[in-house]
Amino acid sequence: MEFTVSKADLVRELSLSQGVVEKKTTIPILSKVLLEAGEDRVTLTATDLELGIRCACPAKVKKAGAGTIPARKLLDYVRLLPDAELNIKFLENHWASLTCGRSRTRIAGMSRESYPELPQMPEPIAEIPVQVLSSMIARTSFAISMEESRFTLNGALLLLGPEKITMVATDGHRLAFVEKAVEAGSRPFRALVPKKAMAEIVKLADESGPEGKAVLAGDDNHLFFQIGDRLLITRKLTGNFPDYERVLPKDHVHSARLNRDEVRSAIERVAQFADERSRAIRVQFTSGEVKIYSSSVETGESEESVPGEYQGPELEIGFNAQYLLDFLRAISQSDVSFELKDQKSAGELRPAGEGLTDQYRYVVMPMRI
Amino acid sequence: MDAFFVSVEELFDPSLKGKAVVVGGRPHERGVVSAASYEARKFGVHSAMPLRTAYKLCPHAIFVDGHPARYRECSEQVFGVLRRFSPLVEMASIDEAYLDMTGTERLHGPPLRAAHTLHEAMKAETRLNCSIGIAASRLVAKVSSDQAKPNGILWVIPGQEAAFLAPLDVRKIPGVGKVTEKHLHSLGIRKVGDLARLDEAFLESRLGKWGLALAGKARGLDAGGWFDAEIGADTEPKSVSHEHTFGEDTNDLDRLESTLTRLCEMVGRRLREHGLHARTVQLKLRYSDFATITRAHSFESPTQVDTELSSQVRELFRRNWKSGARVRLLGVQASSFGAGEDQLPLLAEDRHERWKQALAAADRLRDRYGESAVSLAAGLKGNFRERVHENPAGLPGKHKAAGLPGKHKE
Repeated sequence: MEFTVSKADLVRELSLSQGVVEKKTTIPILSKVLLEAGEDRVTLTATDLELGIRCACPAKVKKAGAGTIPARKLLDYVRLLPDAELNIKFLENHWASLTCGRSRTRIAGMSRESYPELPQMPEPIAEIPVQVLSSMIARTSFAISMEESRFTLNGALLLLGPEKITMVATDGHRLAFVEKAVEAGSRPFRALVPKKAMAEIVKLADESGPEGKAVLAGDDNHLFFQIGDRLLITRKLTGNFPDYERVLPKDHVHSARLNRDEVRSAIERVAQFADERSRAIRVQFTSGEVKIYSSSVETGESEESVPGEYQGPELEIGFNAQYLLDFLRAISQSDVSFELKDQKSAGELRPAGEGLTDQYRYVVMPMRI
Repeated sequence: MDAFFVSVEELFDPSLKGKAVVVGGRPHERGVVSAASYEARKFGVHSAMPLRTAYKLCPHAIFVDGHPARYRECSEQVFGVLRRFSPLVEMASIDEAYLDMTGTERLHGPPLRAAHTLHEAMKAETRLNCSIGIAASRLVAKVSSDQAKPNGILWVIPGQEAAFLAPLDVRKIPGVGKVTEKHLHSLGIRKVGDLARLDEAFLESRLGKWGLALAGKARGLDAGGWFDAEIGADTEPKSVSHEHTFGEDTNDLDRLESTLTRLCEMVGRRLREHGLHARTVQLKLRYSDFATITRAHSFESPTQVDTELSSQVRELFRRNWKSGARVRLLGVQASSFGAGEDQLPLLAEDRHERWKQALAAADRLRDRYGESAVSLAAGLKGNFRERVHENPAGLPGKHKAAGLPGKHKE
């Protein structure tokens, strides 16, 4: 196999594959990127068996073929080359010879025979604007559980329907729900998308520009996101996602409306004095204002008052500051509504004010205080 | 209690009476002596000694496996008797207890009479012998009960503490082990009396704060460590751990993983008994060549659920075990205890919640039918005998980091 590519093209595509290459080298072949040259392009494939990515860049192919090269090493090296044409030729012993201007390098590769076969993309189910997809991910992925043992919560639920698209994520303490009305949607489809895949989708979406579309397909075990020329394949999470509809509060007794920036910076400051492990702060709702305070035996105590509209009895509720901040940092609207019932029931946050195009609900359970 | 484990075994098998008996396992097994009868002790056998050494010293001894469930049950009976004599009872281990008898004179009479009543009640109700030490400090009471063994009562009259302690070996002072003993011997200190004669400042300069505490102890004061605490004050553990040394080093992955599961179950059970939630779980792994590693994981939110502990511990194991290398010992430790689960759960049908309920039911079964009544399927292959010396949970008093064979004297 021998081909010539532009250094810039190769660096861009290799960078996109880095997130997928296995970091721990338990299976040596998975730390490699598979290069396949044919027609007038070279295709790059990387996988850690959970997640796979296939992208391509234009190339002058002298001899078609395939081979694998350590992904990290290749990117680190090629990045340092001058912006010029780069010639890559695979030798008999699976080593790759790289020539660019006055630079010559040979990198130890491996035969492609041992590289795992990625599944084929089946019939598409839907086409989603990448902006919609990545903004939904940005508003839910932080609520995904980091606890590996709770594997059904290690991703977000993606629901497609004829009129809407929904994404839900929870870690058992809080839940983020976002729903957008779409015209001419798809047939009903439901899947659990792993957190790692969501991060890669955002990267591919950024790279594809604001008008990009994601074509979605799925087989029994995998999900496929075709974004432009690039294809992301992920294993579906299995198991039953919790019944989120039961968690979304049907009624709220009391409601407060606050300026987002004010309440966010107040919590950020007060949280400095929350217990480092529990991150617990107290939020006190009184007529006309919301007070936020924290105290820790080791570090000290802090208190803030934020003006806001609130009708209802005085209520003091404990929350994990991080949980509130995650939401306040994810929204762009100027105001936020805070709906609550009592010290032991879930509170709900929603964006309020101008520019509401979709439904975004964030449910947080209190902490015992 | 006198030779507690042996005495309990005798209740179940009277033919053991009067013979050299070693509790802890078979003579050629890896492991240590949990307890030895007085007859066996004549040959130099003592607790914490390797079983093989015990066999060399006393080959004709009868070696029996320990039965932790029996000991726990008897310990609870003992506690039941003690509780009638004072509301302030502290179980220092499975077979040792302190009673604060202050203010009970009108009920039980003077110290010696109260002790005799207790001694008889104990024998009548549990069929076990005990020895009682009476003193104005916890330390002297402990030492005098040791001196009273077997089956005796000893009262150290207030004011006579120093005189009572003086002729004893320094090793008799609780807290003085091999290392301190050696150190003291090197200073020419052999008897408690030698220690009492020394200047506090000298001891402090040689042994630091421990030296100061020793100076106090030599005069019969409760100084240093937990001897300061009130009797009956519950001391919360800082960590809970269980370890297992394989009879023969192994690299059988199934066996290793199920042993870890079993250890996690034991740790989880302890956590629940104490109402603790751990943020950190640690794996201890010792290879055949004694090279030992520990690796820890911190949870997002504290837990006491066996399956959550075991999935993390097994993950730590898979990531760190040199595949195929033979393992001598595995250990699991939970620490960084939070007061509880401060964060309320959002999902009622949550696995976590369901496991908590299932484990609560399993715990009730174990309370009634013994520790091995129910177990996670993944831990079945890892079943092994437990060794229990510490105070059964649920009784007031000292709770050691569980599972390690504690210092144990009969």
